[in-house]
Amino acid sequence: MTQIPFVESPERQSLRQEVRKLASSYGREYFVRQARNGEKTTELWQDIAKHGYLGVSIPEEYGGGGGGIGDLAAVLEELAAAGSPLLMMVVSPAICGTVITRFGTDEQKRRWLPGIADGSFTMAFAITEPDAGSNSHRITTTARRDADGWVLKGRKIYISGVDEAQAVLVVARTEDAKTGSLKPCLFVVPTDAAGFEYQPIEMEILSPEKQFSVFIDDVHLPADALVGDEDAGLLQLFAGLNPERIMASAFATGMARLALEQAVEYAKTRQVFKTPIGAHQAIAHPLAESHVEVELARLMTQKAAALYDAGEDMAAGEAANMAKFASADAVCKAADRAVQTLGGNGLTVEYGVASLLTASRLSRIAPVSREMILNFVSSFSLGLPKSY
Amino acid sequence: MNIVVCVKYVPDATGDRKFESDNTVDREGVDGLLSELDEYAVEQSLQLKEKLGSDGGDSEVTVLTIGPAGAVDAIRKALQMGADKGVHVQDDAIAGSDAFATSLVLAEAVKKLPHDLVVCGMASTDGGMGVVPAMLSERLGLPGATLGSSIELDGQTLKIRRDGDTATVTVEATLPAVLSVTDQSGEARYPSFKGIMAAKKKPVETWSLADLGVDAGQVGLEASYTAVEETQARPPRTAGEIVKDEDGSGAKALVDFLVSKKFV
Repeated sequence: MTQIPFVESPERQSLRQEVRKLASSYGREYFVRQARNGEKTTELWQDIAKHGYLGVSIPEEYGGGGGGIGDLAAVLEELAAAGSPLLMMVVSPAICGTVITRFGTDEQKRRWLPGIADGSFTMAFAITEPDAGSNSHRITTTARRDADGWVLKGRKIYISGVDEAQAVLVVARTEDAKTGSLKPCLFVVPTDAAGFEYQPIEMEILSPEKQFSVFIDDVHLPADALVGDEDAGLLQLFAGLNPERIMASAFATGMARLALEQAVEYAKTRQVFKTPIGAHQAIAHPLAESHVEVELARLMTQKAAALYDAGEDMAAGEAANMAKFASADAVCKAADRAVQTLGGNGLTVEYGVASLLTASRLSRIAPVSREMILNFVSSFSLGLPKSY
Repeated sequence: MNIVVCVKYVPDATGDRKFESDNTVDREGVDGLLSELDEYAVEQSLQLKEKLGSDGGDSEVTVLTIGPAGAVDAIRKALQMGADKGVHVQDDAIAGSDAFATSLVLAEAVKKLPHDLVVCGMASTDGGMGVVPAMLSERLGLPGATLGSSIELDGQTLKIRRDGDTATVTVEATLPAVLSVTDQSGEARYPSFKGIMAAKKKPVETWSLADLGVDAGQVGLEASYTAVEETQARPPRTAGEIVKDEDGSGAKALVDFLVSKKFV
């Protein structure tokens, strides 16, 4: 294994500074306004893309920056810290871009990667099903061959941003996989394909990106809609799921920084007795503790990304899970403590901290619940027997 | 076409400004960066290079700065934006130099570089004197087109628009020339990801006063004509006054306030 340093490179730090500056010119107000008005954050998406920040992890020959998931995660974290996270980065460049880069044919790469890199083509990702929440072994969306290619049938739930995507990378199984063992295969399905329908799910989360139920009713696909090898199994899927976890961690730690920054700013200026409330340890210590938790989660996220970018898939998977766990807990506590610091103001629309409560809560559930991560760590890291 | 863009490494204006016992700016205790006003100079330099395209032969933008070791960060930022190479004049003897001494060092450095156009920002965000571009043109014996808010290059003729309070003037100069640009000249670009990565490999040379043939006695705090005698912390921001308009009296209250402060 190559030596991986503990501190990010000067270039990574420059990238963070520039993204932070650009995102701050939009600010939290922009994100909140767009979300409340039912609009998207397309301007920011395009702006980020224009500077090559969206496509950092896509290979240069396909219009990207030739960097890694660590770079992409840094971009997302800074966007979130500035109050305007772009959720579709988790799926379009991180999951879909990575899977196509690693397993797509040259033709597939040429067709999809340049658009994913420059933001003109957004690809959503569909794995979760109503009857197979955390158990992806129970995926029932099936693909059967027909004369020209494939016919896809199934149902997906909690799929982000289908309405702003031109295609969805759908996790399915081939029909002859009777053994029940998971042999996921991945299909690129255009969102305007006949038989492909989606309905929004009303969520209590302030977000410009919506969640959808997806109905796939005998959607005909050409043979080259299949990305990678029909029998390559878990490898291909995890090539996409590890970046997803790393990106989810970056999303969470960025949001945690936002919550902390707002709390700290308030605690420095709000004065009730003789000193600003931040001088009271009852206020200061929880915020300090959150800062420690966030920094630890960031470090683990960076480690997971470094391992992934070094080609250490197995080690990256373990680190990505732990990073996701730590980041989710860190952001939930940070949001809770921020609200407590602001008191009544913490629940007002004006101060904008309350919306972080539900948004942060999502981190403990998606893309994999903290319980499933603990199951994984119990069995994979500690060697304990499995219950399922 | 050779463009030299002069930039300054300054303390981050969003942080707390501190001073040393000799009233020079404390550069150790704060984060430094490329002066925001110089980003406009870099931007215009890059735009001129891009407009010249291949017609201008091999155009090159060289970033020049004077400053302590950390000042290389300012060069790096300009290289990330797209400049081609950097020159960092670094010498302990320069510390504390005023605008006059600074312009001497800059001029000697520029003379060592091929230059058709020397581009500066309108002022630094820390010292804020805004006189270096004019001093530089004098020392180099080149025409100085300063405070340009729009810049055009037509062959060997530089044409700028300078916006004044009462009139706008168009200034023309023949190359080689010194140009300074305002914050109205066009938003500075963000470095692209590729730009950030490419900057790592771009050459940066470090020169000392000896390399420039400048005597240490001509620069630094001792040799400076101007001296900072006193510094004061900015007074804390006061709460301000909110004019509420519930019965139609708001407009009058607002005008009364402006009159009381002699704004109108």
